[in-house]
Amino acid sequence: MAKRPEHIAPPELFYDEKEARKYGNSTRMMAVQSTMSARAIELLNLPDRPCYLLDVGCGSGLSGEVLSEYGHVWVGTDISSAMLGVAVEREVEGDLCYADMGQGMFFRNGIFDGCISISALQWLCNADKKCHRPKERLEKFFQTLYNCLVPGARAIFQLYPETPQSMQLITECAMRCGFSGGLVIDYPNSTKAKKMFLCLDAGTPRKLPEGLSNGSIEEASGPRTSIAYNNSSAMFHPGKDTLRDNRRNKHKKRNVKDRDWIQAKKDKMRRRGRRVARDSKFTGRKRRPQF
Amino acid sequence: MRLLTHNYMQSTVKGTEKGYPLKIEADKLEFDQSPFDPDFVRSLLPKIDYEILLFAVGQIVEKCEEDLSAVVTLPKLPETIDISSASEDEELLKKLHLVMFDIHVVEGHLICPDTGRRFRIIMGIPNMILHEDEV
Repeated sequence: MAKRPEHIAPPELFYDEKEARKYGNSTRMMAVQSTMSARAIELLNLPDRPCYLLDVGCGSGLSGEVLSEYGHVWVGTDISSAMLGVAVEREVEGDLCYADMGQGMFFRNGIFDGCISISALQWLCNADKKCHRPKERLEKFFQTLYNCLVPGARAIFQLYPETPQSMQLITECAMRCGFSGGLVIDYPNSTKAKKMFLCLDAGTPRKLPEGLSNGSIEEASGPRTSIAYNNSSAMFHPGKDTLRDNRRNKHKKRNVKDRDWIQAKKDKMRRRGRRVARDSKFTGRKRRPQF
Repeated sequence: MRLLTHNYMQSTVKGTEKGYPLKIEADKLEFDQSPFDPDFVRSLLPKIDYEILLFAVGQIVEKCEEDLSAVVTLPKLPETIDISSASEDEELLKKLHLVMFDIHVVEGHLICPDTGRRFRIIMGIPNMILHEDEV
């Protein structure tokens, strides 16, 4: 399995010139970043006028470009000087700052109409230096962010939490600093397209948006696409029992690929949004012997 | 870095009481004209601290005359501003837009008013990273 970037090096070293160049050149990476940013802006639910936004972990400014496209004015912060260098080369419209999000934001109170952050927050769960304490850094970040947001503003974080525990740590810290909100999960059935967005409201909580999913068949029974955090105890617990059951059943796996098995597999792939052959009376039938 | 961003920034070094307005020591300025949107400037009016803006303009005005006299002259801003009457006055909004959006500090320093800590600006990006003992 691919190693998580957080385990390789601290962000200011991991995003070196080589890595930053990828964000400047690779169209695939740029497309992924822009779709995530566009989705984050959609979740921000801003009024229909230019707003003043904060982009935490702006990197090479890909997310900022999407913000500019929507007509917003933004300020970005990042800890990687190489990535900021790419942003300067690309002549992004927002103002950039070289800063560490774990040291808190450095803006006066009640400034920003909203905040987005694409794939940055999970870095705070790591202690890269001796003086780093993830919980303290998260709290410092959320507290200073809360202060510099306009009351009622929303902050959207796209993130890749490593474990349920780290997700819990993040949300607990956010709640303690006065945020309310929850998690929106897009395409929860797919490993590839699954994206998590942490939606935090500064001040009055609003209704949590629904996550996106493919195919409407299983929507009602499938996993929930948004989880609101009202009290922090009711969060991710992957249930010990299910884990144990899985382990026990591993050896009893049926190896017959009968019609039901194929049907289940097809449904699963359909839910993930893959292209699947249509069902017919021939599904799962044996071929005739060839002469 | 635009003066608009400077208006919102504060120093968070340990031992700072207020942390703003940050002093500006500009070594290089640039002028980059951007489209003027009166509604957006109007919506910013209640949020900006006008005193800080005047202070910032005062800090860069000499450098601006030295470097940018060929391209732009800093407009004269009034001493005080009244939000309701200022939002009617398109000329004033235009002046504010020029000062807040079009003048970029490219090289120089920001200085914390309380502790005197200097934040270097390179390529228009202020370095706000603190040392371990300053957090």
